[in-house]
Amino acid sequence: MRSFDLSEPVSWPEAVSTLAQRADDVMILAGGTAFTLLLRQGLIRPSYVVGLRRIPDAARIDVDAHGGISIGTTATHSAVTRSAAVRASWPELADAVLKVATVRIRNQATLGGSVAHADPASDAPVMLAALAAQVVVLGGSGAGRRRVPIEDLIVDTFTTSLGPAELIHSVELPGRDSRTRAVYLKFTLRSVDDYATVSVGARADIADGVFRDLRIFLGAVGARPMRATSVEAALRGQAVDARRFGEAAALVRGDVDPIDDLRGSASYKREMARVWTERALAALAS
Amino acid sequence: MKLSHTATIAAPADRVWAVVMDLPLAARCVPGVTAVEPTGSAGAFTGSLPVQIGPVRLTLAGVVQVTARDDATWHGSLRADAKDARLGGTVRATVDLSLREVGAGCELRVESDLAIAGRLGEFGQPVIKRKADQILAEFAACLGRSAGSVSP
Amino acid sequence: MSEHTVRFTLNGDPREVRLPAGRRLIDLIRTDCGLTGTKEGCSVGVCGACAVLVDGVLLSACLVPAVTVDGAGVTTVEGLASDRLTPLQEAFITEGGFQCGICTPGQLITATALLAAHPKPTEAEITEWMTGSLCRCTGYHGIARAIRKAAQAGVEGA
Repeated sequence: MRSFDLSEPVSWPEAVSTLAQRADDVMILAGGTAFTLLLRQGLIRPSYVVGLRRIPDAARIDVDAHGGISIGTTATHSAVTRSAAVRASWPELADAVLKVATVRIRNQATLGGSVAHADPASDAPVMLAALAAQVVVLGGSGAGRRRVPIEDLIVDTFTTSLGPAELIHSVELPGRDSRTRAVYLKFTLRSVDDYATVSVGARADIADGVFRDLRIFLGAVGARPMRATSVEAALRGQAVDARRFGEAAALVRGDVDPIDDLRGSASYKREMARVWTERALAALAS
Repeated sequence: MKLSHTATIAAPADRVWAVVMDLPLAARCVPGVTAVEPTGSAGAFTGSLPVQIGPVRLTLAGVVQVTARDDATWHGSLRADAKDARLGGTVRATVDLSLREVGAGCELRVESDLAIAGRLGEFGQPVIKRKADQILAEFAACLGRSAGSVSP
Repeated sequence: MSEHTVRFTLNGDPREVRLPAGRRLIDLIRTDCGLTGTKEGCSVGVCGACAVLVDGVLLSACLVPAVTVDGAGVTTVEGLASDRLTPLQEAFITEGGFQCGICTPGQLITATALLAAHPKPTEAEITEWMTGSLCRCTGYHGIARAIRKAAQAGVEGA
């Protein structure tokens, strides 16, 4: 296994300028789980690696005045599950992240890294999309930072819209009020620490017994988190009525694009998408 | 790994068939392919195809040739053998092409069977399958465009 | 390609190793430092055989870049016992927590981390923490019994 030049900047400006210098042959190292696997398999052979571990405050989790939270890019999955700020504002995100792999992986893998890696079968991006997360991006041609909705950042299998010399600074979640419900359901076939065969992240704002807003994303059934736009359209503005959930959930079959693999055939996953979307709706309504 | 794509072309089948079986022209319809050159043996061409799947970058270099051709029924087959020197993986693609008349135009059907070995195969069939799907969809569409735009 | 000097403690002993950027922690432990108690089972972080503690945090050594332990304290199975076995290790013996032993270092390290975080773990906590520490021999009940016994003895992790 060929080695590489590793630099570990101690500030965001240093990270950005180092990336810019090496833009065409550089990779970013966050927690290192996916990075080490790809390196060991010989699938990546970077000449330069920029490690984020030494940037102070890159792992911070903060609350803002509106109850929204900011999760620094190197915050580990475990830090998210244990954060008092996350538990107070979005406990459903903490529960979703708790479903990732094992405690060992969660102690090392970062939330920012999970977003940047954009594994179609991963959990965090799906739940973050359901919760309307925005990703703060640094570097590249623009000075300062830009914000991108996570569903626009992850564009394809293992592919984000990050430009060369750009990196993720943090992930931001909006505040919520008492009308907001959220849930993340993960269906695994073989063992509880596996990737999902299908997962559903959903967020609903319910007032006066009506779905005021609804966001539903599915994981592991497409190249990226797949939005259940048909299901949302069928229910948004409608009274919350459990008798309608089956019919609405069935529409998800047209919103997903699964493929055959060792976690299930495409047709099985399509059917499971329907089943678990219905369960997610029931969970939101209960 | 079997994949199937179609393209509808607003041009007569005979003319389209001639373009589709023009191997250098057809090879150039694989998105990103470069350096298509005859190898010296009849009907065989070399080419190079850069492919990127997220952080993984490949350069597939290989040979493509016509293995079957029936001009009367508009059926033919191509075979491509390629490898990525850095990763040490190989791809063998068998592509069956056929045309059928639809009104004044025709429909091109591209049936592919991909066998992927070595490190490429280990990367994960689902990931490769999506990428192959994208490449072949564009291949079929491009063949359609090339054939449809050739003037009589 | 870059080489880095990593200064850390390994089971309390100060170490300094020069290594290339791509070295994994498991190779630092087993090859550079000669402690082969930590086993490489699957190489992909799934099986738990290579579990180690870095500043008390449970990690899969096969996935951790070695450079990241600079300044940290690493604990492996060799560092659990002092002049005698820990109550957890004793419990593994009396409760049938191992047979062939290949997964045992990882089981002990993981259970040590569990008991440090949860000295009186619930069944759910035992399951959550020990999930992904695979054993082909015991069927897991002996491991769980050993953890409960060690918890009863009122022991916290190393």
